[in-house]
Amino acid sequence: MSLTRPARCLICSFSRGASAATRVPRRQFHPSPAQLANRKPKFPNVKAKDSMTLDELSQNMQPHHFQPYTEEQKAGLKEEYTPEQLAAIEAGEAAIDPKDMAEQFGIREDPFRLNYLDDLSTIEPNVDHHIRAPKSNSDYSATFKSDEDFLDDFARFFAELPEDGGASDWVRFVDNARVTLGKEESERNPHSVLVPDLFAPGETLSDDNKKIVTPFMLQKQSAANAENEEMTDALKRLLQSTGYSSAFVKTLSTKALVSHFVVNQTRLGKVRRMYCLSIAGNGDGLLGIGEAKSEESADAVLQSRYRAIRNMQPIPRYENRTIFGDVEGKVGATELKLMTRPPGFGLRCQHLIFEMCRAAGIQDLAARVGRSRNPMNTVKAAYEALMGQRNPEDIARARGKKLVDVRKVYYSGRELPKKSLTIRAPAAEVPATGEKQLTA
Amino acid sequence: MSLVNLAHVCSHLNNASRARLGLTSIPNSNLHLRLCLALQNSGYISSVVRGGPTPPPQHNILGVPAANDEIEGVQSLTQSNVASRRLWLGLKYWQSEPVLGKLSMVSKPKRRINIDVTGLRRVIRGEKSGYVEGLRSPGESLYLSTDRGILEARECVEKQVGGLVLCRIH
Repeated sequence: MSLTRPARCLICSFSRGASAATRVPRRQFHPSPAQLANRKPKFPNVKAKDSMTLDELSQNMQPHHFQPYTEEQKAGLKEEYTPEQLAAIEAGEAAIDPKDMAEQFGIREDPFRLNYLDDLSTIEPNVDHHIRAPKSNSDYSATFKSDEDFLDDFARFFAELPEDGGASDWVRFVDNARVTLGKEESERNPHSVLVPDLFAPGETLSDDNKKIVTPFMLQKQSAANAENEEMTDALKRLLQSTGYSSAFVKTLSTKALVSHFVVNQTRLGKVRRMYCLSIAGNGDGLLGIGEAKSEESADAVLQSRYRAIRNMQPIPRYENRTIFGDVEGKVGATELKLMTRPPGFGLRCQHLIFEMCRAAGIQDLAARVGRSRNPMNTVKAAYEALMGQRNPEDIARARGKKLVDVRKVYYSGRELPKKSLTIRAPAAEVPATGEKQLTA
Repeated sequence: MSLVNLAHVCSHLNNASRARLGLTSIPNSNLHLRLCLALQNSGYISSVVRGGPTPPPQHNILGVPAANDEIEGVQSLTQSNVASRRLWLGLKYWQSEPVLGKLSMVSKPKRRINIDVTGLRRVIRGEKSGYVEGLRSPGESLYLSTDRGILEARECVEKQVGGLVLCRIH
């Protein structure tokens, strides 16, 4: 649930990247010790008795703490600074009274002081806004260098190469060579850190967009050709109206679940037509149902399949395997109840709901169909129930409360790797979604 | 503690939220007041104000009557006006759906259901205990009348108290 996560600055590249590991120590619900990201302490352990508080620091400053430089220190400074700079430093030292220094030593007493010691001389990426290059660095008319430009660069490099030049010069040249024409800052220090890289991973300047043709691809191509031949008007219309590619539509699993004849009694006699109800899903959260009638049964099946594909909608899934809580659906006299279940439970329900869950990518579910078990109404009611799930985030927003998924408390809030662990679900699964007062 | 009146309150709140009312009133009683305060605490309703037969004046900013309104104030409860008092509840809606879903009684006037902490532990884990069905959907709550006032089922487990199961919201 995103509500439990603090918002991070998307633009700021220096903020820590979002990772699954928790940073804030949480209340533990298990006896094993918490594993912190890095066990080695970053800072040496400072005993309380060795440390000084801000008050002590400010109180204890005396004029005698600010002594003039000793001869040794001066000798050290001489190595770093020119005699002029040294003279300026000494003049500056002499201009300030040690008493003033002791009084004005920079620990503030006012109510707006910081509650930690910092001279604000460095930029802390976690605390401070990071410094971004000015917008004026951008150059929108920058272009890539042509081959001739690169040749010129090489020529200049070789012309300016000193006689004893070696590999290090070459490395420096390659590192500093520019690939665009235009403002230098625009390439080296761009305004936005979100500027995409010039090259895709693995791509180089010398890449000629060579494509390796494998036998597998050839096979696929011939399959695609075969597809083109059977591209009907109905399929074309489906692709146009949905925007799906024909390859995607091929991957969808569709199934005709209900089909029977319906009869219209006219004064000319009975007109028999085929009724068909199909489902379509991508096995990963999309599910749709479609129904069609036609004189020809094959036509009815095809039409209903295409309508199911058109009607595909995302279905909320908990952990991509089951549903959020128990939901009920009712169409006509068919009343059914879908129940959430722990991992590894499987689909223990009748065949129509099983097929729907398989198409939608739900793996753990139980269902009871009460009163009428009419197949058509069962499918419709199951679809209604699946779509009627309540999203915990919506509940949290509506009630102004923070909802916590207790299951995520284990494994330090990380999602389980898919199918790598087979554990029994803790009894407190979705239903026991705990509630806590929103404190943040 | 009249469960008959409480059942009337439950069905009235169901009707009011289906009709998408913003403000509704229920008869005043200590039980109703405590339950409404518990509901407000869980975020199901926006305000609980004790007023007369007509709605109390709206809060200047909130647009619904508020118990802590500094300008309008709240009439005090006296022996002469206690019979005409009603509780005015502000109902909440989110994405044009009522936040207060379906309220249903668990105890009935003729069959009161008490539950202990052990049973309550099972209930909040989603299992059935006695006559009480488990809380199996996200955002479902169960309210109990206990020695420490009217509490939500999870609060009861936290405080280790059982009590009379009043109603369930889902």
